[in-house]
Amino acid sequence: MKKSRILLVMGLLLIAALVITACTATSGDIQDAVDQVAPTLAAAATELAPTVQAAVEEIAPTVEAAATEIAGGEEATAEPAPEEPMADMMVVTAPDDFCPPAPGNAFKEIAAIDELTVQFTRCQPDPAFPSKAAFTSFAIQPSEHLEAMGGTPELLENPIGTGPYMISQWNRGEELVMTKNPNYWGDAAFADTLVFRWQTESAARLLELQSGTVDGIDNPGPDDFETIAGDPNLQLLERPALNVFYVGMNNTYPPFDNEMVRQAIAMGIDRQRIVDNFYPPGSEVATHFTPCAIPNGCAGEEWYEFDPEAARALLAEAGYPDGFETEIAYRDVVRGYLPDPNIVAQDIQAQLAENLNITANINVMESGAFLEAADAGQLEGLHLLGWGADYPDMTNFLDYHFGVSSSAQFGDQFGDITDTLSEAASLAGDDARAPLYEQANNLIKQHVPMVPIAHGGSGVAYLASVSSPHVSPLGNESFAKMDPGKDTFVWMQNAEPISLYCADETDGESLRACEQVTEALLAYEVGGTAVEPSLATSCDANEDLTVWTCHLREGVTFHDGSTLDANDVVLSYAVQWDAANPLHVGNTGAFSYFSALWGPFLNAPPAE
Amino acid sequence: MSIVTEPTKPVATLPLDDAHVGNIDDYRANSLWRLTFRRLFRQRSALIGLILLAILLISAVFAPLIAPYDPEKPLIGIEAVGKREGPCIHILGCPSDRPQHIMGIDGNFRDVFSRIIYGTRVSLYVGLLTVGFAVITGTLLGAIAGFFGGWADNVIMRVLDVVLAFPFLLLAIAIVSVLGPGLTNAMLAIAIISVPAYARVTRASVLSVREMAFIEASRALGASNWHILFGRILPNSLPPLIVVATLGIATAILDTAALSFIGLGAQPPTPEWGSMLAIERNQVFSAPHLVFFPGLAIMTTVLAFNLLGDGLRDALDPRLVQGGAPK
Repeated sequence: MKKSRILLVMGLLLIAALVITACTATSGDIQDAVDQVAPTLAAAATELAPTVQAAVEEIAPTVEAAATEIAGGEEATAEPAPEEPMADMMVVTAPDDFCPPAPGNAFKEIAAIDELTVQFTRCQPDPAFPSKAAFTSFAIQPSEHLEAMGGTPELLENPIGTGPYMISQWNRGEELVMTKNPNYWGDAAFADTLVFRWQTESAARLLELQSGTVDGIDNPGPDDFETIAGDPNLQLLERPALNVFYVGMNNTYPPFDNEMVRQAIAMGIDRQRIVDNFYPPGSEVATHFTPCAIPNGCAGEEWYEFDPEAARALLAEAGYPDGFETEIAYRDVVRGYLPDPNIVAQDIQAQLAENLNITANINVMESGAFLEAADAGQLEGLHLLGWGADYPDMTNFLDYHFGVSSSAQFGDQFGDITDTLSEAASLAGDDARAPLYEQANNLIKQHVPMVPIAHGGSGVAYLASVSSPHVSPLGNESFAKMDPGKDTFVWMQNAEPISLYCADETDGESLRACEQVTEALLAYEVGGTAVEPSLATSCDANEDLTVWTCHLREGVTFHDGSTLDANDVVLSYAVQWDAANPLHVGNTGAFSYFSALWGPFLNAPPAE
Repeated sequence: MSIVTEPTKPVATLPLDDAHVGNIDDYRANSLWRLTFRRLFRQRSALIGLILLAILLISAVFAPLIAPYDPEKPLIGIEAVGKREGPCIHILGCPSDRPQHIMGIDGNFRDVFSRIIYGTRVSLYVGLLTVGFAVITGTLLGAIAGFFGGWADNVIMRVLDVVLAFPFLLLAIAIVSVLGPGLTNAMLAIAIISVPAYARVTRASVLSVREMAFIEASRALGASNWHILFGRILPNSLPPLIVVATLGIATAILDTAALSFIGLGAQPPTPEWGSMLAIERNQVFSAPHLVFFPGLAIMTTVLAFNLLGDGLRDALDPRLVQGGAPK
């Protein structure tokens, strides 16, 4: 006992001594350090001063020019437009050497010609321009609003658009409330208030619909389709399968660097069994990567028939008679193309084991990490992913995945596929492109960068009291067009929007919310994919499809009362295109859809 | 050094100290374990726990004989069953021309009953192995800390206090996230975070036992420290440890199920109850049997170990030892 007390006292003394030493040492040391560093710092400052001064002088004119340009003042280019532009018309032009070589495409210039005319110049012919210009990410916001809010997080929650609804309140984590736009240029919305809510679990969504607390739900579980169809209080609308679910492989990792292995897997998976058992009605087995509803989507040979013997023989020939061990990576996220990820992954796992003797360990990843790893080509085994159409064109499917600008998702690019796709993308007209897409589809079948499994049907369910309901194959339902028979329409989707500045969002749940509020130059027809006029009454191309001239609708006002003019359009595009623009700031700053659809950014920082 | 509050002279009421009463045969016949088991069997709840445990053990050991189907193989194309079909039991009126699945079919067309039976293996394996690891490590650490005291005690117990300071499951999630998901890593994580509990219990009983007269006697006879610790003190510190370990198995099984539920434990197609629950959680209304049976299995197992643990505690409690005198 005594000993312990002595020890305790000694310990306390030791600690106290340590503390005191530390304190005194610190103040002294800091003083020393400051004394030591001060002269060095002073020297460095004098040394740097002229350089800084020079740099400032060098930058000043540029900054000034940029400032005036942003302010909507002078045009920043010396190049005279054919018609003498009005003094305050905004123009953004790329330098002469900006255009990428032939297969690539990019903007050359975006210019306001007069108050209601905007001219887009592309580096190469761009037949898909209208489809792209109708996409949600390229919605028009007032230039004044962008200048006031741009670059701040406030823009992410306060979009000002021209749409039938305007944002009233966003209670993060709970609901997003919108009110009717009384000055809407088109047909006014039916319900005065539109509420967005969200719920990850399909069972819970259905329960809310059944109890009548919401008027519509997205993506009911595949097993609930029958329940909804049989309920007189509900109505089920099947969303056409404009998507694809595939099993991806990366050709830089063995054994998937062997084409025969990839072909064996293509033949060794019974895709019909997956669609029959795990997909809702309206789904179909994928005969090609692209759904047949897309022009030229099903050109070329159909996919391999399920043939386990041939697959095993091929695998043996490739040097794996006893199979091998690999991984199935996926994210546990329900999408229209993959209604039940866990179950489907386990079935593919079981099929690989049974048909090919391949042991595949399941690896469920966090959604963001999974997409990142897939894009960076870091997934060594198989991965389950899908794609939903943004706009109904082959380029949106094939070029994004297998074209020259595609990511490393499937490993090294296949030269013959990229060449064919680049050639096809430069041609106008679906008929002219048909032979090339036939060739591209056949090459994909031969190289098997992935195995297309299904085009998944999904659905939307509404209360029976909702009249004129519709479902959009692109996932952008317009709730202004539906009449809930009361003042408020409540919509429940899978997840909360991430932000409402959709120029920098790729998530469908965010895009759908934006679509109620903001509008693009063109629009997809309600419940369809055809492109129709919206803020622009028309967009006309010159002969070689490089220059597109859009004529704006007259008298359209934004939610803040300002009137739509050409400068709004130019700036809405320019903040996305020009990476050096101080307003080129969004949720992540990636502006993925802009670069994916329109090509490289202007003034992009040099690659690392 | 920790403050020693134990009395220096033990109060000689513990049954072990009564050993000098009566001859050696009486003592053997009424050893602590015999008495414990006799008292254990007298308690109804502990008996129920033991019976449940016996059933679980049998189904784990004889899983291939009991389970009618392969737990990992989908029955697509083998039998005419529907996805997530409810239970079909012939004696309860299910038409005999349909294949019998007493717990129904899951989303991947597998027999749920077979999966539950094989799941017993996983759960018992997990429970016993994690607790085994934790007990061995924890006991060693606790014994060293308690017996030697001083800086060893301080260092060991403070490190374990740090582990204890984290919320149990959160720390497990952190460990699994670093090591990567999988049953082995989940078990390791749970074992690591259970160590402090066993170390503390061991240390506490070592502290009380080491002050007893028979230890002094051993020391006087020239026994080495290690001999005293492992030959004398530890065997006499076991009773509380056994209670904590039994209850700990229940916790370990529950935690593994929880980790599997959030996707960090057993990976499909391993028939683990927690992951079975997780994968079918959305079907709670459309196919309740898929959530009910794994849940019931987890509950039964945890209940069995808890009942047994409670019973053991009562049976080993020296204060309830009245009937324990030699005959």
